[in-house]
Amino acid sequence: MAQYEDIEAYRKYGSEPFFPHHVLRQAIQFLAVFALLVLLASLAPGPMLPKADPFDAPANVKPDWYFLSAYQFLRLTEKLSFLGQWVPRVLGVLVQGLGAMAVWFLPFWDRNPERHPSKRPLAIRVGIGITFFLLAMTLWGHFS
Amino acid sequence: MTEEKTPAEEPKRDASVQKREEFEKRTVFTEMFNLFSLVGFLYGALDERLSVQEGMQRQFGKPVWFYRTRLENNLLACLGGISFLFYLFQVVTGVLLLMHYRPTTAEAYRSVVDITNHVPYGWLVRGIHRWGANLMIVTVLLHMMRVFFTAAYRSPREVTWVNGVLLLVFTLAFGFSGVLLPWHQLSYWATSAGTDTLSAIPVVGEGIKYFVRGGATIGQLALTRFFAFHVVILPGLMLMFLVLHFLMIRRQGISEPL
Ligand code: HEM
Repeated sequence: MAQYEDIEAYRKYGSEPFFPHHVLRQAIQFLAVFALLVLLASLAPGPMLPKADPFDAPANVKPDWYFLSAYQFLRLTEKLSFLGQWVPRVLGVLVQGLGAMAVWFLPFWDRNPERHPSKRPLAIRVGIGITFFLLAMTLWGHFS
Repeated sequence: MTEEKTPAEEPKRDASVQKREEFEKRTVFTEMFNLFSLVGFLYGALDERLSVQEGMQRQFGKPVWFYRTRLENNLLACLGGISFLFYLFQVVTGVLLLMHYRPTTAEAYRSVVDITNHVPYGWLVRGIHRWGANLMIVTVLLHMMRVFFTAAYRSPREVTWVNGVLLLVFTLAFGFSGVLLPWHQLSYWATSAGTDTLSAIPVVGEGIKYFVRGGATIGQLALTRFFAFHVVILPGLMLMFLVLHFLMIRRQGISEPL
């Protein structure tokens, strides 16, 4: 049988056997998610728009909500096109690309050993700031 | 002087060993596996060579951490698991949709209308697939936020985070490629505009755009490519990274409460 190096931590914080306890917990979550999906799908099933027509561009095409913030940011940088044709796209792509890279490699440059939110105020503020920025861009994209 | 253990020490150590053994025995899996091997269902030469049974028992016997200390730790730590549940729902409903979907520009729209209006419970399967796709993105983003705000990405969990960002990218790529498949006005024009922004990437952008679309504009080749990507390449690719994600969590345990 397995040897648990971290048996002390299990004692301290609590643990449960994978089977049946954890599996049972998962089963309950499964049923809840399933019920929610059936409910939502019944109340609002997928609509069917007109068939694609390559010769008839609709007036106001927007991406799905999860791409709206990136899309709106690109449109925002278009306002800077008086600086040159290349500015908006390169700036929009560069800023977002670098931002994504920064998030991707976050654990390698955020070396603050503290974990409690009250001891890493800058990180928490930046995190909340980015969250609200993305939310605002999404809403703006939605309503513009 | 080498001394044997005094009788007073002996029962104490025995008690803790016994306690642990008792804990391990609580998993009913031992009995289930014994039953399986008795029937000869899964085990035989294969198990003798690969120790499948031992590996499985070890995995299922290992307890799962969770924190009795704080309720919110428990609830927030469910978000990753719920994301995975959505992945499973997407796979199952996706396979069901696949039984009726026809990936050609002439037929795709018709087949989705058929699924919605004629196939028994087709509307439900399609509805679940659509809702599941959107809710999965929500839960993955929330899961990412919980990991960020509890600083759970720190060493030794860097790999889990880096790998997790890839999972987010795959989830978004699922949404992007899935939108084209019903071949309605929005799928066509949103995908046109979306792939158009690819050309903003310096140097290689135009090439990528041409490759993704399979030509200068969206057509049959684009649909075929998006279809292959959405139903074959992405699910498999994502599963590999999900397994890595879970193995890391299983090995290291979830991060300690704050
Ligand atoms: C389909 C997407 C994903 C699935 C199914 C998934 C699943 C899970 C599960 C089940 C856990 C166990 C603890 C928990 O649920 O909170 C976990 C932990 C973790 N996930 Fe994910 N995850 C996904 C995406 C992500 C993303 C986008 C990130 C970050 C960018 C991420 C980073 C992490 C990290 C660092 C942990 C360890 C947390 C800790 O030890 O406290 N995951 N994931």
